[in-house]
Amino acid sequence: MSFDQKPQSSADLDIISSLVHGGIDRKKAEESLFTRYAYFIEQAMHKYSFLEEDAFDIYSDTILSAIPKIIDQSFQGRSSLKTWLFQIFHNKCVDFIRKKTTNKNSVNKTIDIPGVLIQMPDAAKTIIQEMTEKTDRELIKQKLNELGENCKKILWQWAEGYSDKEIAAALEYKTADVVKTSRLRCLEKLRQLYKSVKE
Amino acid sequence: MNLLPHIDDYFMGQLPDEMKNEFESKISQDPVFAEEVAFYLSAKNILLTDAIKERKERFAGIYQQYKGTQKTAKSSGIIRKLWPYVAAAAILGALLIGLNTWLKPVPVKQMADQYVKEHFQTLSVTMGGKEDSLQTGRRLYNEGKLNDALAQFESIMNRDTSSGEAKKLAGIVALHLGQYNKALKYFEELENYPGLRVNPGKFYQAITLMERGQSGDKELAKQLLIKVEEENLEGKKQAREWLKKF
Repeated sequence: MSFDQKPQSSADLDIISSLVHGGIDRKKAEESLFTRYAYFIEQAMHKYSFLEEDAFDIYSDTILSAIPKIIDQSFQGRSSLKTWLFQIFHNKCVDFIRKKTTNKNSVNKTIDIPGVLIQMPDAAKTIIQEMTEKTDRELIKQKLNELGENCKKILWQWAEGYSDKEIAAALEYKTADVVKTSRLRCLEKLRQLYKSVKE
Repeated sequence: MNLLPHIDDYFMGQLPDEMKNEFESKISQDPVFAEEVAFYLSAKNILLTDAIKERKERFAGIYQQYKGTQKTAKSSGIIRKLWPYVAAAAILGALLIGLNTWLKPVPVKQMADQYVKEHFQTLSVTMGGKEDSLQTGRRLYNEGKLNDALAQFESIMNRDTSSGEAKKLAGIVALHLGQYNKALKYFEELENYPGLRVNPGKFYQAITLMERGQSGDKELAKQLLIKVEEENLEGKKQAREWLKKF
């Protein structure tokens, strides 16, 4: 631990450690994290007069955005986990109020594709952005429902950022390589279903 | 050609640097390849949206459980905080109930009922000449033929005005029949009947008044019981006990 790191409570350390190390405890750690600070919901309901449903959505978004940051260690522990989470939560509450007043409520939007394009050179990035905008998202959604349950489970976990090793442990596949093969096969099936309509 | 494994390797950070550069250049040069990359990313994004939706649903379930435990914790917390007061209130309540039970006068009718049940349920049968008629009345009474028994005892009284026992028994039957005025009359006559070694007239009047329960009856019964005790009359022991509860 470096000098600018804030000591974390043992419960928080357990959650952070389980998230960082992944494996079968990750899901449990996500749930523990959610429950541990779920009282933020009630606080927001009182402080901002939010509906419970809205406060829950904002808190869920907080946890969902915090989990990848804890996993990739963007959260470096300079403040306590609670302080850090509350800051994210508070910012989201303020965003929500602002968007509500400007009638542009999109607090629940998911991570944008450009987020994963950061690593790309600008030229390639622009092309991909334009092409993804042209992609028929509704058709992909529709074709996704034609996949089997096992395919959907494996693809969901992959989309959420689980490694093949973690997916193998969670869904009881023999190895990470088996997961990768299965995952790419499912993705290819989805692509073919999509292309069969588009072409 | 299936390009997905290659695309996947790029985004999973598994391509060496030179292949990465080649990959990025190909996007600009090959629209089909770029389209495949766009599909890969779009599919992942849609799956993520689905996954987030599923995870939110999971969180919603956890939140419901959390709320349930919070509710229980809150109420048990409140109980814990209030426990000394709750305990004190319970003790005080118990004391009040106890005191109330202890001090609350037992309804006089209830006391009279109990006495009648214990002492007048059946009448002992005695032998003898005059007693033969009384015996008939007692038998009728014991058989539950109360009106017949009353008629029998009244008949004896009319025939033999000196029969204190007939008056007593007639009064008891009248009491049992709820004919309180008649019972009072008979017991009053009994009280004034001379020559009886044991005269329960006053005591039985008190019982009748306790049973009747009209306005002023309780006070009259109390006065009679006081006299029974003071004059050392039949029923003195019972009168003393009742007076404590009046």
